[in-house]
Amino acid sequence: MLLRITFWAALVLTFSLHLHAQDAKADKLVGVWEPSNGKARVKVEKIGTKYYGKIVWLREPIDPNTGAAKVDKNNPDESMRTVPLKGYRMLKDFTYAGNGEWTEGTIYDPESGSTYNCVIKLKDDNTLDIRGYVGVKALGRTDVWKRLQIQ
Amino acid sequence: MRSTLFLGRILAVCGILATFIPLRAQEPDSLGTAEEEEDYSMYDDVVFADSGTTRYCSPKIFDLSPQRFISIGWDYQRPFNITASPIGTYAEGAEPAPAESGRAGYTGGLRLGANIPVISRNSFVWQVGASFWDIRYAFQNIEDEPGAAGLLDILDERGLRTIGLNTTIFKPLNEKNFILIQANADLSGDYRLPQFQSLRYVRYSLAALWGRRPSDRLMWGIGAARTYRVGEMNYIPVVLYNYTAPSRKWGTEILFPARAHVRRNFSPRSILLAGYELEGQSYRLNTLSDETRSLEIRRGELRARLDYQFQLVGFVWASVQMGWRYNWSFNADYLEDKGQEFFRGFFGDQPFAMLNELGNPIYLQAGIHLVSP
Repeated sequence: MLLRITFWAALVLTFSLHLHAQDAKADKLVGVWEPSNGKARVKVEKIGTKYYGKIVWLREPIDPNTGAAKVDKNNPDESMRTVPLKGYRMLKDFTYAGNGEWTEGTIYDPESGSTYNCVIKLKDDNTLDIRGYVGVKALGRTDVWKRLQIQ
Repeated sequence: MRSTLFLGRILAVCGILATFIPLRAQEPDSLGTAEEEEDYSMYDDVVFADSGTTRYCSPKIFDLSPQRFISIGWDYQRPFNITASPIGTYAEGAEPAPAESGRAGYTGGLRLGANIPVISRNSFVWQVGASFWDIRYAFQNIEDEPGAAGLLDILDERGLRTIGLNTTIFKPLNEKNFILIQANADLSGDYRLPQFQSLRYVRYSLAALWGRRPSDRLMWGIGAARTYRVGEMNYIPVVLYNYTAPSRKWGTEILFPARAHVRRNFSPRSILLAGYELEGQSYRLNTLSDETRSLEIRRGELRARLDYQFQLVGFVWASVQMGWRYNWSFNADYLEDKGQEFFRGFFGDQPFAMLNELGNPIYLQAGIHLVSP
């Protein structure tokens, strides 16, 4: 009896430690990142079991045409065109697939109003390869994002 | 015994708790569009976690017409007249009596293109592509004089086509400066598929530019090119000037002298370009060539046009183009020594083998394209 309890306890503990380790790897995506063009900063958060990234900083936050804060004016959904870009979730629904890769998500480009399939790969602790693609991964473009530290 | 049992129970409880702690943490805290208030000013003052991180300039600026991964189109020219000289030796500006004439009732054909990114990173972009252009002619009222080369009959029967490979390299040097290299290898002639002509007659083009991208609305560059844009091989300076106005409604897309357009952006999904493009190839006519020399039609034309591009659905775009096709050159050269290319340029005096005249009709082009992110 004792042996059985000990065995199951050890098994559960091992499994839970494995889950913690997986979570720790998956959560390396969490943080503030800058795309290569330096035009925005994106904060990635974990919400539930998925990862989301919202715009928290814009190099040019004011729309020169309106003099007001930039909004998502290129969104194909007209009802979204008054939503401020700052705070906008441009990375959505990423799940950790192991091996430093997050899949099944999308990336939104506010410049074109287009949403792409996307795969995120952690190159090192401070570097992400963000590949947006159309249909198949070969038809895409990779952008390198760098981790930022808040002063 | 009791202490061992107690220890086992503690381990079991710890394991169960440890299992559920991460599950609690995974419960959604916010998925709605409404964000809790956040002080965004905290993101003003940041540094890269990695020291020595370099920013690179992008190969694009705001609102450029979309780059095409895959393209399927059809080109059609309205009827026009054509006259061709006999094969001979003619100085530029000579006016030989035409040996054959006719009216091209139909001129047009399929245009396929593919452009795939092999490496697409912010520090280096390398793309390779392939293209296939077909031109079919249907002539009416052909009149041949003695000594005619039979050019119109050849074009009518065989048409002209080009199969090409191309590659583009964009190398950003830093946040502002870049190098752009484009190379093409085209096999052009009256060959029929799948019987290609010898690869000896592949013609190579190359353009290399150094450029600056001072902002998200401007990139420019200067360089040089070896080109067949005016039909025969030439070396020319090139200027890149892509610009988007602060209103984001107007801009330019210029790679002078190959093409120059003013751009009107109605929306991110709807663009009108107005301008011109130079098109050219050197087509080997197998029927009029032999082992020692290659007779090549130096087709060069200027296409002044309006080009409307719009999103159909998702990443599928369509384009409709209409304009005026102005004949720059349809003359022919004999390339001696088994098709050895030569450089005439703007000032050379090498003679032509044929001097041909084409009318300048309206043309139409339509296509469907899978565009790039």
